[in-house]
Amino acid sequence: MFSLTTRAWSPYAAGVVIGLLQIPAFYFLGTALGTSSSYVTISANIASFFDPSIAAIKYAANHMGGAKNWWQVALIGGIVLGAFISSRLSGTARWGASPFWAQAMGAHTPAQRYLMAFTGGFIMVFGARIADGCTSGHGVSGIAQLAIGSFVAVTAMFGAGIITANLIYKRV
Amino acid sequence: MSVFAAMLLGLAMGAVFGMALEKGRVCEAGVIVCQMQMSRHTMLKMFLTAVATGLIVLAVMVGFGLAKLSPKPTLFAADIIGGAILGIGIVVAGACPGTVLAQIGTGYKDAIFTFVGGLFGALAFTYAEPGLLKPILTAGSYGRLTLDQLLGVPFPPLALAFAALIIGFLVWLEKVSPWRGEIGPNADGVPTSDPVVTNAAAVAG
Repeated sequence: MFSLTTRAWSPYAAGVVIGLLQIPAFYFLGTALGTSSSYVTISANIASFFDPSIAAIKYAANHMGGAKNWWQVALIGGIVLGAFISSRLSGTARWGASPFWAQAMGAHTPAQRYLMAFTGGFIMVFGARIADGCTSGHGVSGIAQLAIGSFVAVTAMFGAGIITANLIYKRV
Repeated sequence: MSVFAAMLLGLAMGAVFGMALEKGRVCEAGVIVCQMQMSRHTMLKMFLTAVATGLIVLAVMVGFGLAKLSPKPTLFAADIIGGAILGIGIVVAGACPGTVLAQIGTGYKDAIFTFVGGLFGALAFTYAEPGLLKPILTAGSYGRLTLDQLLGVPFPPLALAFAALIIGFLVWLEKVSPWRGEIGPNADGVPTSDPVVTNAAAVAG
C-alpha cells in the first residue's frame, strides 16, 4: 500500500499520510501544516537585498525570520525533494507541461502556458495571503481545527475554482 | 526550537509531504483542474482524507493535552475575497501553493513559472498590505471563531463526529466513482495522454 515504486497510491492512503503530519507540526512547533506564508518569507528576504526598507513593513518583518517561518521554507523545499525522489522511483518523472493543457485549452505554445502559469501563480498566492491561508493552511489544517474562517475560505476557493474551471477550459 | 533544528524537521516533513502529494497524484494539473470541473474527484478524496485524519489526530492530541489548537482568525471579507482569488489562481496555474512544489519535483517546467509568479504575488501583497488592503482585510472580523465554540461543545467529540461524517461521505464517493478509474493510463489525471485518441473516441462516441 505504501510502496515507493508504485505509480499511484490511493488518494486515501496519501491523505492519511498528510493528515498524520499534523502530529509533528503541533507537537514540535505548535503550528499547523501550511505552505503559502513561506512565499512571503522567501520573497521578502530576496527583496530586502534590493529594498532594505521592506523590513520596516510589519507584515514583511513578521515573516522574514524565526523558527516557524524558516520551518515552512524548509517544508516546501522538502516537498520538491520528496516529489523528485518519489517520481524517479516510480517512473512518473515529467518534463515541459502536462498533456492535460492541450486537451483543456487546445493548441498553444509553451510560452503561452508559461505566461499562464506565472499569472496563475501570482493570483493564487496573492489570494492566499489575503485569505491568510491556502489549500493546506485553511483547507487541510483549518477545517481540521473546525475554524469558521477556514470553512468560509475553502468554500469561496472551491466555488470560484469550479466556476472558473468550467468557464475557461474545455471539459476534460 | 532553534531555526536550524526547525529547518531540519521542516525538510524531513516536507519530503514526506511531497511524496504523499506525488503518490496521491495531486501534483498533476489534470487532477486539480478536473476536480474543479467536478469531472473527477481524486483531489477531493485526498483533501477530505487529510482533513478527517487531522480531525482525529487533533481530537486525540487536544483530548490528552498534547496540543493547543491555533485556528486562524475569522475575517469574513478577507476569507471570501482571498479564497475566491486563490481558487481562480489555482485553476489558471493548475496548482495550489503547496502542490506546485511537488510539480517542480516531478520535473514540470511550467511549475517553476507558477512558483516564481507566486513569489511575486506574495511580494505584491506585502507592499500593498499596510495601505491598500487593511480595510478589506479587517472587515467582518470575529477573532478565532471555531465550530466547537459556536456550538458550545468540547473540541474532541465534535472533531470525531465530523471526521465520521467525512469518512461516510468518502465511502459513498468511492462507491460512485472509484479512484483507480480517475487517474488515467499515464497517472496524470488525463483520460488518455493522446488528444488524437480522445478526439477519435469523441467522434466515434
